[in-house]
Amino acid sequence: MKGYGHTAATLLFLTGLGILLIAILQALPFGLAPMQVGQAIVAAAPGDTGADNIVTAILLGYRGLDTLGEVTILFVAAAAAGMVLGGASRGGAQAENAGFILHSAAYLLFPFLLVLGAYIVLHGHLTPGGGFQGGAILAAAFFVPVLASPASPFNHRTAMLVEGFAGAAFIMIGLVSLVGSDAFLTPFFGKGEAGALFSAGSLPLLYLAIGLKVGSELAGLMARVSGAEAGA
Amino acid sequence: MNTVPQIIFPVAIPLIAAFLLPIAGRCHAGFGRIFGRAAVLVTFLASALLAWQVAGAGPASSAMGGFKAPLGIVFYADNLAMAFVLLLNIGVWLFWPSGDEDRSGPYTLLLTLLGGGAGLVLSGDLFNIFVFYEIVAVASYGLAASGGSAAGFGASLRYLLLSALGSSLALMGIALVYAAAGTLNLADLALLAPDVLRGPPGAAAFLLLLIGFGVKAELFPVNSWVPEIYASAPVRVTSLLAGIVSKLALIVILRFLVLVFPMPSAYGLLLTLGILGVLAGELAAYRARDLNSTFAWSSIAQLGVIAIAFSIPGPAGIAAGIALALHHAVVKPAFFFIADKWRGDVKLLSGGARTSPLVAALFVLLSLSIIGIPPLPGFWAKYLLLDAAFSSSPAYWLAAAVVLAGAVVEGAYLFRAAGFFYGGPQKGRGAALFMPGELVPAFVLGAVLLVAMFAIAPLGAYITSMAVQAADVPAIAAQILLGGN
Repeated sequence: MKGYGHTAATLLFLTGLGILLIAILQALPFGLAPMQVGQAIVAAAPGDTGADNIVTAILLGYRGLDTLGEVTILFVAAAAAGMVLGGASRGGAQAENAGFILHSAAYLLFPFLLVLGAYIVLHGHLTPGGGFQGGAILAAAFFVPVLASPASPFNHRTAMLVEGFAGAAFIMIGLVSLVGSDAFLTPFFGKGEAGALFSAGSLPLLYLAIGLKVGSELAGLMARVSGAEAGA
Repeated sequence: MNTVPQIIFPVAIPLIAAFLLPIAGRCHAGFGRIFGRAAVLVTFLASALLAWQVAGAGPASSAMGGFKAPLGIVFYADNLAMAFVLLLNIGVWLFWPSGDEDRSGPYTLLLTLLGGGAGLVLSGDLFNIFVFYEIVAVASYGLAASGGSAAGFGASLRYLLLSALGSSLALMGIALVYAAAGTLNLADLALLAPDVLRGPPGAAAFLLLLIGFGVKAELFPVNSWVPEIYASAPVRVTSLLAGIVSKLALIVILRFLVLVFPMPSAYGLLLTLGILGVLAGELAAYRARDLNSTFAWSSIAQLGVIAIAFSIPGPAGIAAGIALALHHAVVKPAFFFIADKWRGDVKLLSGGARTSPLVAALFVLLSLSIIGIPPLPGFWAKYLLLDAAFSSSPAYWLAAAVVLAGAVVEGAYLFRAAGFFYGGPQKGRGAALFMPGELVPAFVLGAVLLVAMFAIAPLGAYITSMAVQAADVPAIAAQILLGGN
C-alpha cells in the first residue's frame, strides 16, 4: 500500500511540475528570449579576451569564477568520496587480468591518449575542447591500464600532488593578476594574435591547470573505486 | 564608487588552502591540522580587514576578471554580507574537529565550506551563487558522513538526494529568470524585475529558487533531512550546519527577495512557508523524546521565524531577521553540544544538575533566551520581529500570533527538560561527570550571549544600520553596476 502511495505522490508531483512549466513557458515570449548578456558577450568576446573559442572566453574570462567553483565542486566531491571509501576495508579477491589483447592494447593506447589529451587541453582557447574534456582523456590514459590489469600499481601520491598543486595554481594565477590590475582572475600577458597557440593571455594557463587537476582527480577517484593497489 | 579587489580573499584563501591541505597532511602527521587552522586564521584576518574597510567606507564591489557587470561576475560586500562571512569564519574555527586523528578529509571539506559559504553571501550573480551553493552542499554531505557510522552514511545519502532535487529545481528557476530577463546579475535584475518578472513566470521562478535554497535553510517542505543528519553527524558538524550554514542560505533568499522579486506574491510565499515551518517544527519538537531531535525540530521552527521576519517588507523586518539569525547562531550550537552529552531519552537527564551544575545552568540560560525572556538577547530579537509584524499588514499579525504560540510550546518542552535536570533521582547518564574540555565551545557561546545582553543598544543600532543598507536597492544596484571598475 505504501508503495502505491509513493508512486501516486510522485506522479502527482511530476504532473503538477509539468503543468506549471508548460503554463510558465506559454507566458514567456517563445523564440524571442532576450539573451541580452549572451548577445553582448558574443559580440565583445574576441576583442576582449583574444580567444578564438568563444566558449573558452566565457568559461575562463567572463565567468572564470564559476569555473573555479566547478573545479572546486569536483574536488570536494572527490575528497568526500575518498574519505568515505578510504574507510572501507580492502578485503576480497583482486579482479582477474583482462585478456592478452585488451591488456596489450591498454599499454599501447597510453601514449596516444596522453598526446590527444594534452592537445585538447592546450588548444582549448582555439578549438572546441579544453581543460575539462582533455583532463578526462588524460585520466583515461592512466586509468585504462588499471582497468585492464587490476593488479598494476596506481600512484595515488603523485595524483594527489598534481591535483593539489594544479588547483592551487588556478587560484595563484588569479591572485597574481591582482598585481597588475584591480580584479581577481584578470587575464594578463596580452591578447596575442587570435588563432596562434600562444594567444589569449593567461587563459591557456588556466586550462592547463584545469586539465591537470581534472585528469589527476578523475584517475585517482576511479582507481580508488576500483580498489587498485596504492603504489609507493 | 568603492572598488576593492581584496573582496575575493575570503573565498580564495580557504580554497587554495583546501587544495594544498591533502599535500600538507601527507608531509608530516598532524601538520594538516595545523595548516588548516592557520588557513582559517588568515582568512579571518583578511575578512576582518575587509569588514573594517566596508564599515568605514561603505559597501564595496569588484568585477571579477575586470569584466564589468552585467557581462562578468561582480562580488558585492556590505555590512550584512561581511557580518555573516565573519560569523562563518568564527564558526569554522570554534567547531574545528577536536580529535587528534590524522585524517585530512574533514579539514579539506571544512575549508571548502568556508570558501564556498563566503562566496555565497558575497556574490552578486545568480548563477555564481548557485555554484557556491553547490560547493557548500557537497562539502556538507561529506562532513555529515565524516563520523564514520553506517547511520551517518545513510542519512547523508538521503540528504544528498533531497538536496539534488532542490538544486535541480533551483537551476530551473535560474533558467526561468534568464529566459525572462536575459541577465543573471542581481543588480541588473533589480532594474529589470519590475517589468519582466512581475507575473506568473517571476512567482514560479521565486518558488523554484525558494525550494532549492530552502533545503539548506531548513524551510518547511524540504527539511526532512534535518533530524536524521543532526542525530548522526558529529556534533561540531551539526552545530556548523544548524547554526551558520542554514543562515547563509536564508541571507541568499533575502537578497533574491529584496533585489529580484520584491512583489507581494513572493513575500506571501516566504511568509506561508515560515508559518508552516514554525507550526510543524514546534509541534514535532514537543513530541520528540530525546534532546537531540528536540533541538533539530526546534531549529526548523526558529528558521521559520527568521523566514517570517525576512518576509516583512522593509528594513524593520530585515533587522528582526538578522537579529534572530545571529541569536540562533549563538544559542543553537551550544544546545547541540549539551545534547551530544545526553544522547537517548530525555528522562536520562534526571539529576544532571547535581553532578554537572554548570551545564544545567547553561541549559537554563540558553532556554530562557531562546524562549524570549527579558533581558536576554533572545527577547530583544523577538521584540523586533513583533514590532515589525504589528506595524505591517494584518497577515503578519497572524504570523506574530503563531510565533508567540510557538514560544509557549517551546517553553513547555524546554522546561520539561530542565525539570529532569533539576528534579528526580540520579540515575542513568545524569550521574556521569563530564570532561569540561568537551563543552568549551558551548560555554564560550553562553558567555557571548551574556556579553551581548549588556551590549543590546549598540548591537541593535548596528543591526538596524545593516538592514537599512541591505534594503536600499538603488544604492546596491548602483554599486554593483557602476562601482566595479
